[in-house]
Amino acid sequence: MATIAAPTYAPAAAPPRVADEPTGLWSWLTTVDHKRIGTLYLFTSLFFFVWGGLEAAVIRAQLAGPNMTIVSAETYNQLFTMHGTTMVFLAIMPLSAAFFNLLIPLQIGARDVAFPRLNAFSYWIYLLGGIFITAPVLFHVAPDGGWFGYAPLTTKASSPGINIDFWVIGLQILGISTLAASFNFITTIVNMRAPGMNMMRMPMFTWNAFITQFLVMLAFPVITIALQFLIFDRFFGTNFYTTAAGADPLLWQHLFWIFGHPEVYILILPAFGMVSEVIPTFSRKPIFGYPVMVYATVLIGFLGFGVWAHHMFAVGMGPVADSVFALTTMLIAIPTGVKIFNWISTMWGGAIRFTTAAKFAIALVGMFTVGGISGVMHSSPPADLQQTDTYFIVAHFHYVLFGGSMFGLFAGIYYYFPKFIGRLMNERLGNWSFWTMFVGMNLTFFPMHFSGLLGMPRRIYTYDADQGYTLYNQLSSIGTAILIVGVAISLYNLVRSWKKGEVAGNDPWGAGTLEWTIPSPPPDYNFAELPRVTSRYPLWDVKAPALTREVPHSERGDRELEVQGPGALNGDHDVLGTADINPTGGPGPRGGAPVMANAMQRASERPGGRLPTARELGIPMPNPSIWPLVCATGVVVMFCGLMFLEKSTKLGVSVMVLGGLWTAASLLHWLTTPLEDAH
Amino acid sequence: MAGAASTTVDQITSANQADTHTQGHYTTTGLDNRKIAIWAFIGSECMLFTSLISTYLIYKGRSLVGPYPHEPWTDPATKKVFPAILDIPVTSASTFVLLMSSLAMVLAHNAVVNADKPRTSIWQSSKLWLGLTAFLGAVFLCFQAYEFTSFVHEGLTIRTNLFGSSFFTLTGFHGAHVTAGVLWLLALLAIDFKRGLRPSDALAVDLSALYWHFVDVVWIVIFTLVYLIQ
Amino acid sequence: MPPSHRRWRPAATALLAVAALAALAACSPAPFFRGPNSIFTRYTETNRDVNGLFDSLFFFGTVVFVLVEALLLYAIVKFRRKPGQAEPKHVHGNTTLEVLWTAIPAVILIFIAVPTVRTIFRTQAKARPGALQVEVIGHQWWWEFRYPEYNITTANELYLPVGRTVNFALKTADVLHSFWIPALSGKRDLIANHTNFLWFTPDSVGAASWNGHCAEYCGASHANMKFRVYTVTPEQFASWTKGQQQVAAFGAVANAGTTSGPQTVGAPAAAAATAKQAGAGVRESGPRAGEQGLGDEAAARNNPVPTQPASGAGAAGNPNAAPTPATQAQQAQFANVPAGYTYPAASLPKHVRPSTPIPADLKRRVNMQLVGDPARGQQAFLSCIGCHYINGNPIAIGKIGPNLTHIGSRNTLAAGLYPNDTEHLRAWLKNSRAMKPGVTMPTLGLGETDPVTKQKVTVGGLTDQQIADLAAYLQALK
Repeated sequence: MATIAAPTYAPAAAPPRVADEPTGLWSWLTTVDHKRIGTLYLFTSLFFFVWGGLEAAVIRAQLAGPNMTIVSAETYNQLFTMHGTTMVFLAIMPLSAAFFNLLIPLQIGARDVAFPRLNAFSYWIYLLGGIFITAPVLFHVAPDGGWFGYAPLTTKASSPGINIDFWVIGLQILGISTLAASFNFITTIVNMRAPGMNMMRMPMFTWNAFITQFLVMLAFPVITIALQFLIFDRFFGTNFYTTAAGADPLLWQHLFWIFGHPEVYILILPAFGMVSEVIPTFSRKPIFGYPVMVYATVLIGFLGFGVWAHHMFAVGMGPVADSVFALTTMLIAIPTGVKIFNWISTMWGGAIRFTTAAKFAIALVGMFTVGGISGVMHSSPPADLQQTDTYFIVAHFHYVLFGGSMFGLFAGIYYYFPKFIGRLMNERLGNWSFWTMFVGMNLTFFPMHFSGLLGMPRRIYTYDADQGYTLYNQLSSIGTAILIVGVAISLYNLVRSWKKGEVAGNDPWGAGTLEWTIPSPPPDYNFAELPRVTSRYPLWDVKAPALTREVPHSERGDRELEVQGPGALNGDHDVLGTADINPTGGPGPRGGAPVMANAMQRASERPGGRLPTARELGIPMPNPSIWPLVCATGVVVMFCGLMFLEKSTKLGVSVMVLGGLWTAASLLHWLTTPLEDAH
Repeated sequence: MAGAASTTVDQITSANQADTHTQGHYTTTGLDNRKIAIWAFIGSECMLFTSLISTYLIYKGRSLVGPYPHEPWTDPATKKVFPAILDIPVTSASTFVLLMSSLAMVLAHNAVVNADKPRTSIWQSSKLWLGLTAFLGAVFLCFQAYEFTSFVHEGLTIRTNLFGSSFFTLTGFHGAHVTAGVLWLLALLAIDFKRGLRPSDALAVDLSALYWHFVDVVWIVIFTLVYLIQ
Repeated sequence: MPPSHRRWRPAATALLAVAALAALAACSPAPFFRGPNSIFTRYTETNRDVNGLFDSLFFFGTVVFVLVEALLLYAIVKFRRKPGQAEPKHVHGNTTLEVLWTAIPAVILIFIAVPTVRTIFRTQAKARPGALQVEVIGHQWWWEFRYPEYNITTANELYLPVGRTVNFALKTADVLHSFWIPALSGKRDLIANHTNFLWFTPDSVGAASWNGHCAEYCGASHANMKFRVYTVTPEQFASWTKGQQQVAAFGAVANAGTTSGPQTVGAPAAAAATAKQAGAGVRESGPRAGEQGLGDEAAARNNPVPTQPASGAGAAGNPNAAPTPATQAQQAQFANVPAGYTYPAASLPKHVRPSTPIPADLKRRVNMQLVGDPARGQQAFLSCIGCHYINGNPIAIGKIGPNLTHIGSRNTLAAGLYPNDTEHLRAWLKNSRAMKPGVTMPTLGLGETDPVTKQKVTVGGLTDQQIADLAAYLQALK
């Protein structure tokens, strides 16, 4: 029986580096490197996660007892609106985006994404949009219409202040970021996979990310239009949501939830993908039922567009519509459940190593089950009429979003931090953080199942005594305090490990996918030679071929590929113990090509070793560019002009024109500057 | 070592050399990245226009006051009679113009693909067809501008009623897309005049053609659902 | 081959599991959700229907939960990596298992789907004929209730006869709201330009009081948009409707539209007739969505306190004159008007009795020493006629705020937020906006700061005596 030696890495003082790596603020402002952009997303999203968490802390303080007066009603309404908006759009989605950026090119064996400057543009628009929508909090004019902003409450007539203006415009800006990124990642995944990586060999995270991008591509235009209608109503006096003109408030609800339901799958699928990476590695087994997992995810994506009106069971759509959406909602539980069973089966018969990443990933399986079950309970409209708009729903979505998305993404942080920083996070701190978060999360959100079914509605800034749910509110508030401590420990761990963590080496976990074949942190060009892939776990193939003998290999697929593997020409390739490379190209007996250049391997093992530069390897790299940032700023200026229209038409129009010209000019520069030097 | 590595890269890219689409870079599908991106973009645009068109259809017949698209309306307060707003014959003409522009676009792309072949007549000039496409697009926009201003004079603005809001927003978004397309074509035309478009530029023209045809198809749908079906 | 007795172990475990599940099946979630506003009640047929669904949902939910979490826990305990352990065998999948765990959840879902669809069609069928029709109109942040069969308009407190189906027609005057009485029924949204319907039959409950709450975020005081429901015996209900149909119990005067004298009360028919005449406004085309509405309320919100016209002006018989103070005789007459039944405040359990405290600084300024005079209070009511309607008070014809004809008999104030007693009434009149964030009703007390406009009330503000008088007047409107 083959054994893989426990992963060892050279006890180095510092991770290996490329000599000509640029540093300094300018290098960050002009970067088009997906890894740097991913790092920017990571830090920005964690900042907003903390921000949204503090908003939640104030909410829970206010609700810790009946009739409390810590914040006023108006402030509370701003807090819960911004908590939801921040967490959904500024924390979870960008944290997923951080991983899309960091991982996708590495997992598919590419050097970068398809459109590196568009990638940078997506980040800068996100940052500026995030600042735009958050800044009003500091001036007490934060949006206060709830994170799904139902009309007609959000129309000018009912919300005359600028609060909602910030919300609609801010979301519009953020939508641009996400939509642009979806075009980028779809193209990257479709078109830039390394030779031999057919779709059914892609890592699970990349698959989940891929489907997520399709959801974004199809769902975001719908909310764009919903927001456009609200913007037009508020700024130009149109009638889309003006009930006095005969408008139907349900238009907003339908448009929003046709976006909103796919949105929640956008929030969870990346975390699912992360779990599908982490659990196999730490169980020492491949994912159980890979094709079924892929089909289940595709089905979830597809069905996700057919369930939206389950958010609207109380609006009186009629028994037929209610029944149809009840059935589709129940249906979507099936592929989701299949994934849970496949994860458990992956662990079954394995040899589980309980690193912090593994704990978070396994916790997702447990917590998402709870959230999924309460979700099925909502799927029955008559029962849902007692659940909707109560804390029972709040319990459900926090189980799936915190116990699901956040736990999955935290697993990703602990798992991939070593890859991108070159140092391991501290396991002891991680352990403390995990258990504190686990206890805190359950103590906060489990009691909400009770508050809800005991009659507590949502979005109330206070409640009266003796209603029967005071105790559960107290428990939730205590849980929040514990949760905050847990998160703080992880953040401290992150910051501390940045410079002081143990050096990780290429593959600290003994994983099987391509990103673990290159140094940690990866050089800017990622792969010295584009790898040639013949299985789902190329690194395990190489390290322990006996174990992966039964991994499906498509001989026909391998034959159809005419591109020669890089290793075929590199005589000195016996780095990892394989010798069965056919030097004339085409698949060898196993087709297992070594996946990295010899020099890189040796360099990465030397303490603080120096990796070859792109120039030395003859790899053309994209040039950094300031135009994405400049263009993003122009777009935001244009939107800001809208805000000034009320005050003075002249000022508003001037700012919009200025922003438009600014955008056009920077776009012109961008489009006429080649990405790479001629080669 | 470095030499071997760069040879490797060349070997990979040379496999795709014959495929001009990819400009020398290795790709999984053999298509250029931008081709795939434009299809993703068009996919999202489909959802954009679906939302706009659906809203129009949902609000059809639900305006509390006129003017209405297909039937006259008398204002109960002033007793003024407003005729049906939409003018099918005029819009049919502008639709025809837009359709013809798509034909011109096809010919423009063809001209660029064959730009290296000896040109025998002006009808093979990419400048002609690109210019004609842009011109016809601009004519369509002029028709729209004429229509919109005449509607406003006849009493229908974007604020008047549900019909006005949904109609002008839908057709306005479409018009904005046509405008963007015209500007794109003019940019290509400018490059054509500056250095000439060669077959290696066929992809750029192909991308703009895809976009242009999409915008045309959307108009067909709008014309049918808004103007023709009553 | 394991020893023979060990072979039975898996079977025994399975049997145990089945037994546990069977025991679980007998359980209902209700015991775990005990509370005064719990949805797990069986007082109405719709709630019993829904509880049946919940029993099923919780049963399957618990089964799946226990099964999945047990598998997960077992896996992570049994398959921990042990030191020196060999790498595990790579298993890539198992088609049978995949089919099983796709099919079994599908079957479970059928068990949920079929009763669900049945219940949907049953509960959304038209209400049975003869149901009591109640029109609910949501406002920011109070509830208007109308009983068209009885010509009654009231606010924030709903009386329902036990044993009779009540059919609610749900409308809103402004933004989205949701009508929810957790202990009696699921909720239904109030949507502009739509009329939604909700019905139930309180058939398994006696005289009792219930909490209602708005359940769709509707702005600043969404948390304060509550209402009370009283299920009463049919006799009590009949008495209540009669009482509601009467004109105001204090100070009602000749209707401008008729030339007859003060309203007579006595024979029910006559009472109904006069109520109809005097209360012609009760069934006037009320606020339809968009008709009356935000414009008025927004304007009212921003308007300063209306100044009081000179009292006692106007010739008798002039329909637009200020009402002459009720004579002693008239007052005596109305004092004998049999008030309709109202649910006694003393019978309210703790959870129905509101305990929201008055803001401490406002409480200090409420003058409880003064004695209020209802007659003087009726004069002071001129400040309020723009928004409030009192049947029998011909100039109190405003339709923006709640109908106050019988406010004295309500148990709660400000949409179920405060108890209806002298102190709270005086505090509310003094500074309603400090008591309930964002309300349209302006701050009236002289010297008070309006939290919305941030201005101090000066011209036209009510003195403490006027407040005491007004409160006395309102309390007299039983």
